[in-house]
Amino acid sequence: MHDLILKNIVKFITPCIQLFGLYIILYGHISPGGGFSGGTIIASSLILKHITFGQSSIPSIFRKDSALKLIGFALILYSLMKGYSFLGSQFHFPHPPTGVPGNLFSGGFILPLNIIIGTIVSATIYNIFTLFVNE
Amino acid sequence: MKNLVCIIITVLIIGVLLIAASELPEFGNPDNPELNSLSKGYIANAMIDTGAKNIVSAVILDYRALDTLIEATVLFSGAIAVMAVLKGIE
Repeated sequence: MHDLILKNIVKFITPCIQLFGLYIILYGHISPGGGFSGGTIIASSLILKHITFGQSSIPSIFRKDSALKLIGFALILYSLMKGYSFLGSQFHFPHPPTGVPGNLFSGGFILPLNIIIGTIVSATIYNIFTLFVNE
Repeated sequence: MKNLVCIIITVLIIGVLLIAASELPEFGNPDNPELNSLSKGYIANAMIDTGAKNIVSAVILDYRALDTLIEATVLFSGAIAVMAVLKGIE
């Protein structure tokens, strides 16, 4: 697209959307939100940038080949962490501290799991969009 | 022969499931155990058990985390299926 107003507004608004999505992911265990909603918001900002500036403006980790590797790695990491958590509660392995409820670093495995889910959802939804767009 | 084995296994599975269904407690009975303890237990203990203030996050990422894992896997495999249909498997 060759629209000056659109380009300048998207340049200004994309970091705000991404910051809001990161906030929703990181504070998922304190306030309403979580990995699914925050990941969708980040994916919407990527889609906006793709429509305006083209595919070359997107970080290469979100493109098809590396995104598949990223999602597979994130799913394996999720399974390992949650399997450790389930087995650990059975056999009394050391568990990450739950902390003070309301702090950012509290809740044990919930914060890293939210980040992993956000990564999976944002990469997946952006890649579904790229399948339907005409290059 | 193969069909016969399949039919026998299917009938056995159907029988086991029907026996299990006939043992279920009556629907809507207020004395059923699952209607009383679990939801109140989550509301009372979620913050102490997990350290998260958001009970929804505590349920989907701690108590029911395998469900969330399979949800993410379903999203991923759906995307792969759409990719395979639209672009072809390379």
